[in-house]
Amino acid sequence: MKNTSKIIVLIVICFLLTSCYSIRLRSINGTPQPDPLSNRDDYYRNMEVVEVDTVIKIDMTSKDFTYLIKETDKCKTGKLHTVEFKNTFGGSLLSMVTFGKKRKMKIKYVCMKPAN
Amino acid sequence: MATTKTHNLKEWDTLHNNGPFPLKKLYITELEGDGNMPDKIDRFNDAANEIRRLIKETKDANQGFRAYGSAWSMNHIASHKDRMHYNGFMNIHIPIIPENCHTNSNFDASNLFLFECGTTIKRVSEVLSAHGKSLKTTGASNGQTIAGCISTGVHGSAFQVGAVQDYVVGLNLIIGPNPNDVVYLERHTQPALNDAFAKKISAKIIRNDHLFNAALVGLGGFGFVHGIVIEAEPRFLLKRYVKKINKDVVLKLADTLDFKNSTFKIPEETTADGFGITPYHYKVFINQYSKEPEYVIELMYKKPFKTDYKDPFPIIKQSLYRDLIHLFTKLAEKLPKSIPWLVKQLRKTIMPTVDDELTGTLPEIFWDAPYQGPAFACSVGVDHKDSSKALKLLADLTNNEGPIPGIFAMRFVKQTKATLGFTKFPVTCMLEIDGVLWKKTRKIMSLTEYSKRIIEVLKQNNIPFTIHWGKNSDWSFPGLVNHMYGADSVNTWNSYRKALLGDEMMEMFSNDFLHDTGLAKKDMTMDDTDENLIASL
Repeated sequence: MKNTSKIIVLIVICFLLTSCYSIRLRSINGTPQPDPLSNRDDYYRNMEVVEVDTVIKIDMTSKDFTYLIKETDKCKTGKLHTVEFKNTFGGSLLSMVTFGKKRKMKIKYVCMKPAN
Repeated sequence: MATTKTHNLKEWDTLHNNGPFPLKKLYITELEGDGNMPDKIDRFNDAANEIRRLIKETKDANQGFRAYGSAWSMNHIASHKDRMHYNGFMNIHIPIIPENCHTNSNFDASNLFLFECGTTIKRVSEVLSAHGKSLKTTGASNGQTIAGCISTGVHGSAFQVGAVQDYVVGLNLIIGPNPNDVVYLERHTQPALNDAFAKKISAKIIRNDHLFNAALVGLGGFGFVHGIVIEAEPRFLLKRYVKKINKDVVLKLADTLDFKNSTFKIPEETTADGFGITPYHYKVFINQYSKEPEYVIELMYKKPFKTDYKDPFPIIKQSLYRDLIHLFTKLAEKLPKSIPWLVKQLRKTIMPTVDDELTGTLPEIFWDAPYQGPAFACSVGVDHKDSSKALKLLADLTNNEGPIPGIFAMRFVKQTKATLGFTKFPVTCMLEIDGVLWKKTRKIMSLTEYSKRIIEVLKQNNIPFTIHWGKNSDWSFPGLVNHMYGADSVNTWNSYRKALLGDEMMEMFSNDFLHDTGLAKKDMTMDDTDENLIASL
């Protein structure tokens, strides 16, 4: 019995670990919009990062969801330089229990720096 | 109108976490939109007016001022305890047309471009590429701003080319709050722009080799570097080889740069009569903790540009987990003896893969460098003839008094004309150690102590040297700058600076780095009131 519990715990841990990952898309061209006030110490140090962490609703008739990038102070050009998509166990679970109607959207993006 | 946001801050840090350094105000200026002000010259001058306004505001507050761009320097050269200005959004470029060139100019107008201070090397390369041109050389990556590069002497390893400042042919400086304080400098022996064009962006034109050479590597002390005219060249390709060869052969090549007669040859890069071809770029990677009989070297050969070459794009380096970097640093601090093992584990991320071959343009090969956590770099310049001797001394120092969490590399750069350019030898070997930033413990000395030992060891062994202005060192070491450049060069630099700026602006553009190095001093032996110093010749 004890061995069975251990195996279950192991499987759950493996599932949790493998279901949490990041994929980053980065343009080979252009310069990311800087943020001289940022004090991040991760991959995005000194970059103006927009973080979106929300739940989107997709109805049964829609196949996909389009998130628009607009020109704002944090995205002066409205053009993308880097996008990072993160999938988490919680996100996968939410999608599963809602039969895909609700999706966790956890992304970071950095826009292109304006060129003159 | 260009607009500036002012932020009251207490401290500022570099990209690589080499601070924090104290600060009172940070200015961030953004240009007027091109929809509102379509003419680039108008926007350039509009930005200059805004900078003059900020200089006046700072002067009225009796404070100091320093501009910075990408914050890539690893010491306090870019910082000021009073007011700093972020110029990364100031990135106008203007191609120079033949009608804008001086009648005595020997430059091909199609190779000349004016860039505003905050333009990154990557953006400069993109602009040039769109015109079928390329920079002659860059540093190992592309995130620095053009003004930051020349102010600190950023270099690659193109030993027949020079550093970034060596293809600069004109400087547009803002040296005070008044309209007349916008100055255009170039060499009188190599004029580039005619008066008609230069007057569009400046109130005063000074063609003077000595003044230009002093201001070229200005360490942020020659006013606000607003515009930079560079000479580009037609696009070219670089074929890159990575080899692992016997240490003795590598070091002989470093000391002689005689690729023609070396026993090391790359079959594809050999002349018809069997001699080796001299590469564009030569870099040596040295793991001073390894007893392997071979070193990894990187060579690049210049080739004519063509469009049909294999995609060179580097596989993007995976970022090391921040926790992993933290763990490595802590291990290094607590258990310095683990450093050689750590370096060995990291070799795949810090050294290129042997026998990799690729072809690409300069900006493709020297592409983005993702942030990898707090970092240090100590980089000394020696005559390339002293390179193997200097390497042995500093590797022994690192092994005997360290270990230090980093590895050495050697790059080679042609002599600069800049008065305080650290690439001052006929060919300078930049011998550098870089790695993860650590904190002093009972078992490992501090970075400043290590830097001090580097200076002492080179002095004790009578090896003339310089130090990269943008990297770590014991910058307060007594008499350091005079020892490196000689009192005459230091005095020349100071005198031209004082003659151009005057006492008040000289003080405003002096920061702790200039004070620490003794370069902020106002007493000098040359007559700085001599108008000839800043006369147009």
